[in-house]
Amino acid sequence: MGTATSDLREPHERVCPRARLMWWCTHAIGATVLLAVLVVGVVLTDTLRWWLVPPVAVVLAAYAVAVPQWRYLVHRWEVTATAVYTQTGWWARERRIAPISRVQTVDLEQGAAARVFGLATVTVTTASAAGPLAIPGLDLDVARALVDELTLRADATGPAPGPAPRAAGDDAT
Amino acid sequence: MNGETDGWQRLDRRMLLVNPVQEFMKLLPALLGLLVAGTAIGVRGWQLLALVVPVVLGTVRYLTTRYRVADGRVELRRGLLSRRTLAVPVDRVRTVDLTAPPVHRLLGLVTVRIGTGTASSREEDSLDLDGLPVAAARTLRAALLRAGEPADGHRPDDDLLRPDPDRAVRTVLRLDPAWARYAPLTGTGLVLLATVVGGGLQLATTLGIELRLHADDLPGTSLPVAGWLVVLIGLVVTLLVVSALSVAAYLLTSWDLVLSHRPGAWHLVRGLLTTRETTLDDDRVAGAVLHEPLGLRLAGAAHLSAIVTGLDRSRAGSATLVPPAPAAVAAGVGGEVVGTPQPLDVALRTHGPAATRRRWARALGPAVLLAALGVVATLTLPVGIWGVVLAVLALPVAAGLAHDRTRSLGHALVAGHLVARSGSLARSREVLATRHVIGWTLRDTVVQRRAGLVTLTATTAGGDQAVTVPDVPLEAALRLADDAVPGLVSQFLAVPERLPDPPSTRD
Repeated sequence: MGTATSDLREPHERVCPRARLMWWCTHAIGATVLLAVLVVGVVLTDTLRWWLVPPVAVVLAAYAVAVPQWRYLVHRWEVTATAVYTQTGWWARERRIAPISRVQTVDLEQGAAARVFGLATVTVTTASAAGPLAIPGLDLDVARALVDELTLRADATGPAPGPAPRAAGDDAT
Repeated sequence: MNGETDGWQRLDRRMLLVNPVQEFMKLLPALLGLLVAGTAIGVRGWQLLALVVPVVLGTVRYLTTRYRVADGRVELRRGLLSRRTLAVPVDRVRTVDLTAPPVHRLLGLVTVRIGTGTASSREEDSLDLDGLPVAAARTLRAALLRAGEPADGHRPDDDLLRPDPDRAVRTVLRLDPAWARYAPLTGTGLVLLATVVGGGLQLATTLGIELRLHADDLPGTSLPVAGWLVVLIGLVVTLLVVSALSVAAYLLTSWDLVLSHRPGAWHLVRGLLTTRETTLDDDRVAGAVLHEPLGLRLAGAAHLSAIVTGLDRSRAGSATLVPPAPAAVAAGVGGEVVGTPQPLDVALRTHGPAATRRRWARALGPAVLLAALGVVATLTLPVGIWGVVLAVLALPVAAGLAHDRTRSLGHALVAGHLVARSGSLARSREVLATRHVIGWTLRDTVVQRRAGLVTLTATTAGGDQAVTVPDVPLEAALRLADDAVPGLVSQFLAVPERLPDPPSTRD
């Protein structure tokens, strides 16, 4: 199947390669914690057995190694004169497109892990609660430049972003 | 403390009667506790607190609450110790709802709720003027909504309630009480029943009553038959109770429902004890959703809600336009609301064999698993024949669901509206004006991608914030998105051209 002659192309920009490093670290930590819980369970209870540990460890390790790489291959973003286009996910891929004229707010956010790696997440919201476009794993400087650029373009093309804009009912031009 | 300085006004004086009642209801649990405690300890006079406290609180609330409409803003100031002023620019006012609970109605008062469509759903952020005389409330509503509109100068009505042919007020729907017969077919009845049964059981447990059926207590010797009879009678009684409750709920909320349109806005009045008047500006009505849950669909009925931008999420209910009613009526009103009948009755474009296969796989997969478990359970555990019965029941139900979901699935783009229909038990047809589409999401899992399918979502600022077209072939999805909002998606196509024309005919 998959014989569609047209498809969306991928957005041009990749996220920062350090994002993959960050995801490896966070996934490894998560997997270690899960494994530790299992080991504690084996030690403390009779229902869990030692032979469970190796296969679970293998699965978790595979997850922690493969998923960040997969994610890194999928995650991309692009901003054109009229639209923002993002692609995220791994098993389920999500591609979001929003016209710049409908952009209401542009947020820059740094989690604890992101700060260690000098990364940031840029979130672009429209009037719809269902449609925020999040671009995680951007280099902090790239993220700042992106926020400035988006804010300028949104100001130039659309209704003014604000706390309670009336953009929802307006026609896009 | 002068009541009228700088245009600040108090609410209606009659609220001095209403507020204590409200405070009393709010404090009821605490007051009951106090009463019991007081009686137990043997202190006299505690009971008086139950009267004094609400009266004092209610009076303080009245004295500390003021509002004004000045400088293009509606302002509400309240609080005795921590004073809070809420200000809303008049041109941001999106909805003005008038609600009159029974006590208010007795006194000729209404609560005016001013909605700005803020994303915040916190209670303290809502601007409620609790307690204005009906006439003053209507004048205020007319003034607020007129100021929020572009100045094309149509006259405000002081009395929007009664449709008047001379003033271009068009009544679109008048509720027929006989439609309450559809009420038992919705989920409301079951929710009510669960509440009643849950409450009853709780009460029974509290009172120490044990609900247990002893087979020995039943008359006659053929015990199994008697047992079944009891179960059967129980079911019938339950059904009757549920039906009665849901009919009552239907009439309570929808009594005297009148949906009318005057230039610029929709106007909905309804309610038996508590009356509600909702006004929706035309340019905020982004579309409509025709709900056809299985029960209603089998009876030829449906209900309709509007996709309204700028309604707070906590008040999604106020977008209901038609309660369960004959399907033709609901669809007709839907056509009126979106401005053209086509989106409500056009034949939908199906999603093809891959989507059909996916419907069947997704319905049958869990059913086969369940059936296998049932058979295994019968063979290995002491559950008797029931495991096999489960297996035999699960498969046809799943097949029926898959068939119905396949039939329901479809989309269309007609007269400037995106139409999407899906679901079986809770089937709905969503109609969204394309100018209210503010973004697209294409989601596909690895499995969907192999089947060439994608779930297309149009995001919007109203209703559920999105209209979803599940499992549509990729190319059809891109064409739909490009036709609905030209130029947005096409710039990201692998081959940046306009999509080729589809092989089959289009509307």
